[in-house]
Amino acid sequence: MSKSYLEAGETHCAIGHPKSVFWQWMLTIDHKRIGLMYAAVIFTFFFVAVFVALTMRIELFAPGAQILDGDTFNQAFTLHGVIMIFLFIIPGVPAVFGNIVMPLMIGAKDVSFPRLNWFTFWLYIFGALIALSSLWTGEGFADTGWTFYAPYSLNTNTNVITTLVAAFVLGMASILTGLNFLVTIHRLRAPGMDFFKMPLFVWGIYATAWIQLLATPVVGITLVLAILEKVFGIGIFDPSKGGDPVLFEHLFWIYSHPAVYLMILPAFGIMSEIIPTFSRREVFGYRTIALSSASIAGIGYLVWGHHLFTSGMSDLAKTIFSFLTFFVAIPTGIKFYDWVATMYKGQIHMTTPMLWALGTMVTFVIGGLTGVTIAMIGADIHLQDTYYTVAHFHYAMLGGVVFLLFAGLHYWFPLMFGRMYNEKHAKRAFWFNFIGFNMLWFPMFIAGYLGMPRRYFDYLPEFQIYHQISFFGALVFITGLIYMFTVLISAIKKGEKVGPNHWNATTLEWHLPSAPPPLENHSKVPYVDFRPYEYHHGDPVVKFNYETMQRID
Amino acid sequence: MLEGFKSQAATFAADVDQALYINLIFSIILAFSVIGPMLYFAWKYRASNVKKEDIENVVHHTGLEITWTLIPTIMMFVLFYYGYTSMRALRTMPDAKNAITINVEGSKWKWRYEYPANANGFVHKVGGAYTKPTMDGHGNVVKNGTMGKSALYVPVGTNIILDMTAPLGDVIHSFYIPAFRMKEDVVPGRITKQWFNATKVGEYDIECAEYCGTDHSYMFSRLVVMPKDKYEAWFNSNADTPKGNYANSGDAVLQRHGCKSCHSIDTDKVLFGPSLKTRRLTKEQVLDVIKNGQNKLGYAMGAMPSGLATGADAEKIAEYVANGMTGTKPASFATCAGCHGEDGKGQYGTAPSLVTYDVDLLRNVLKHGKKGMMGTMPQFPYVTEKEVSAIAEYLNK
Repeated sequence: MSKSYLEAGETHCAIGHPKSVFWQWMLTIDHKRIGLMYAAVIFTFFFVAVFVALTMRIELFAPGAQILDGDTFNQAFTLHGVIMIFLFIIPGVPAVFGNIVMPLMIGAKDVSFPRLNWFTFWLYIFGALIALSSLWTGEGFADTGWTFYAPYSLNTNTNVITTLVAAFVLGMASILTGLNFLVTIHRLRAPGMDFFKMPLFVWGIYATAWIQLLATPVVGITLVLAILEKVFGIGIFDPSKGGDPVLFEHLFWIYSHPAVYLMILPAFGIMSEIIPTFSRREVFGYRTIALSSASIAGIGYLVWGHHLFTSGMSDLAKTIFSFLTFFVAIPTGIKFYDWVATMYKGQIHMTTPMLWALGTMVTFVIGGLTGVTIAMIGADIHLQDTYYTVAHFHYAMLGGVVFLLFAGLHYWFPLMFGRMYNEKHAKRAFWFNFIGFNMLWFPMFIAGYLGMPRRYFDYLPEFQIYHQISFFGALVFITGLIYMFTVLISAIKKGEKVGPNHWNATTLEWHLPSAPPPLENHSKVPYVDFRPYEYHHGDPVVKFNYETMQRID
Repeated sequence: MLEGFKSQAATFAADVDQALYINLIFSIILAFSVIGPMLYFAWKYRASNVKKEDIENVVHHTGLEITWTLIPTIMMFVLFYYGYTSMRALRTMPDAKNAITINVEGSKWKWRYEYPANANGFVHKVGGAYTKPTMDGHGNVVKNGTMGKSALYVPVGTNIILDMTAPLGDVIHSFYIPAFRMKEDVVPGRITKQWFNATKVGEYDIECAEYCGTDHSYMFSRLVVMPKDKYEAWFNSNADTPKGNYANSGDAVLQRHGCKSCHSIDTDKVLFGPSLKTRRLTKEQVLDVIKNGQNKLGYAMGAMPSGLATGADAEKIAEYVANGMTGTKPASFATCAGCHGEDGKGQYGTAPSLVTYDVDLLRNVLKHGKKGMMGTMPQFPYVTEKEVSAIAEYLNK
């Protein structure tokens, strides 16, 4: 029995061989430990942003200013957005499961550049500290919204520069993560594993890595230009200096639109792992799922203009961007049909991860189809910048990316810790989350259609009922979140011990000598001459001797 | 629901709603084509119901795959088409000859409207800030805010073109009429256009939809669609707001222009600005302050912004506020009166009585200013010796 990567001393370090357990974690270059540290940090930020959001919901419970004034509310939604987007959801799935699981899935010992991975993690922490430092320095946290639209961001006295610098540093970390994963997937796949033998989660990470590498520099440049404009007044975006504020919107969305695919593609990858495993059969349409990830990543670059349908862009440009946007819907739809078809004639085991995956199918279908609504130009002219857009975004991001991140958390938990959580409680927590989530965001579709603009801290009394339903939904949802994390965290130490392949899954990360895995993963590099989800009569076809990694089936 | 939302009171609102309706139908079909089979399979193939031998690895079905690619693709094209046609309805500007072009200016945090000159050469300029709701100390709303009468007045059944812009140095806003399903950003330094043709007489809400800072939530205005004859009568007059239901007494005018949020009018209490009750100003002075603003005195509470009301409204406010004063006084006393009252006897909470001051003391204070309990008296070093004497003489009387 080999030692687990979690045990003291079982790690490689960036510098030296420290004796202290603390420094072993701080300096670790082991992809699994780095992934766990990301998880600890991003979920902490997640809860901070959730409670900021709850404060806003309390304020919005009734018309009028109760607990927040306009300026504080503006800072609150900026803080919520900046944390959720830059500190939580962009690192999100790649930083946690891309690190922990992806190298295991391709039979690698680690990522290609483990020291760079260590550096990236600390660069991320550095960026996060810069972002948070602006809460207590200068004129207070930025009040621009997470989009930093010019000329508002250029005129405001709040601490925008610090936040822009933080976003730049975090973008750098994102680029380096993407680079590292690209090289890893190209160079460190186990022998025999060609691209169409990779698990679908690896495809998701691969598509995302390209977006991280190619799109992030655009927003980096944009943020630098905004900083230069604020400090030196170079007049790129400020109309009073001859600049063009709409240019900022274009540059910002050239990154930030592909960024939403950057978030969702690895999450779709998690779905593609969970559905075949708990249907106990091979995935339907492997190639279409894999290639649809790639095509979503490709088309995603060409549709940023749909954020600007009401910004004064020419009608011809609107038409072209709208037309292209519909092409994102098609590969996404195909994925969903493939997943549903995977359940056909399978044997559905309704475990907690499967429950989360199927729940996400409901919420993401709503999130995706409401996105189609606002891809229609005429409809978007009415719905742009209303609660409809807010609800769509949260259905797609929270009900898509974050729900699948939770699904992955439940799926790979026994792998990461070698222990199992209490499924009865975990399923109950799911229902709290699912019901609370829908109650929180569905009324916003209606409020938005009826003309409730976003980013209002006070509103006309006509909209009160929708805000109040949302508020009670938020309470149920937050209860569910706390419940879920209590179940998971208590299982890290106290959960029942389980073997390396708790779910009877087929992909390589489940063929490890022990659970949790040892420091250098598989005992030997396996030879891959099989497809990722081969089941026969509900049992995995490929079996390994975990010491020699020879096939024994 | 917002007033008039259901009535689709613009020519193109029905086009947008039709596009949304088709979208809703397609969305429900597509959602059930995924969720329906998903739930059915989850139930039918539940673990307890399926023997291992019965599991089948179906990984490919050309016919089905073509179907679920092709049908949604066609549906997407249909939706694109309706999105496009409703956009054409919203965005195809009428000929300016057959339309009234109104200039719209969005600035932090108000909407202003400027009409073309009427037959008399008079240019109507209306609009202004929205009146916020009043609240008690606990933040409970005592009185809802009103859209005010800072309204955009238009005739029914007429093409209206809005030429919209924001001042340089301001930020982006967005002019949104939910009842008409129309919206377009208002960008500093460029002119964006929208148009509409209102089909029903009534009042509709105007909101700012692009985040613009502190009072973004209060950047409301109102669209008043009037019968054509009433509109014409108003347009060709020099009155600032239309007669009839739309005009109000001075008190209401004060209320709607938001004077009362800074100035109390029935007590001596100093809110953000001085009380208007004790502040006995002439009509001309009030008009001057309304038109040009007031910052000569460097109040701690900041400047009185200019242009809060215009035209007939301003006249009414001035009349209402002004209190007939007696006695002659030097012109330069006007500035003193701003704080010390027209009679020089001081005002509660703002400045002390000057009655006991002699020439030397006055000269000294005017040159160097003075720190008192109520704040700083600003310096007036440019007051001439002659004027100081005149003021002293006046006060001693």
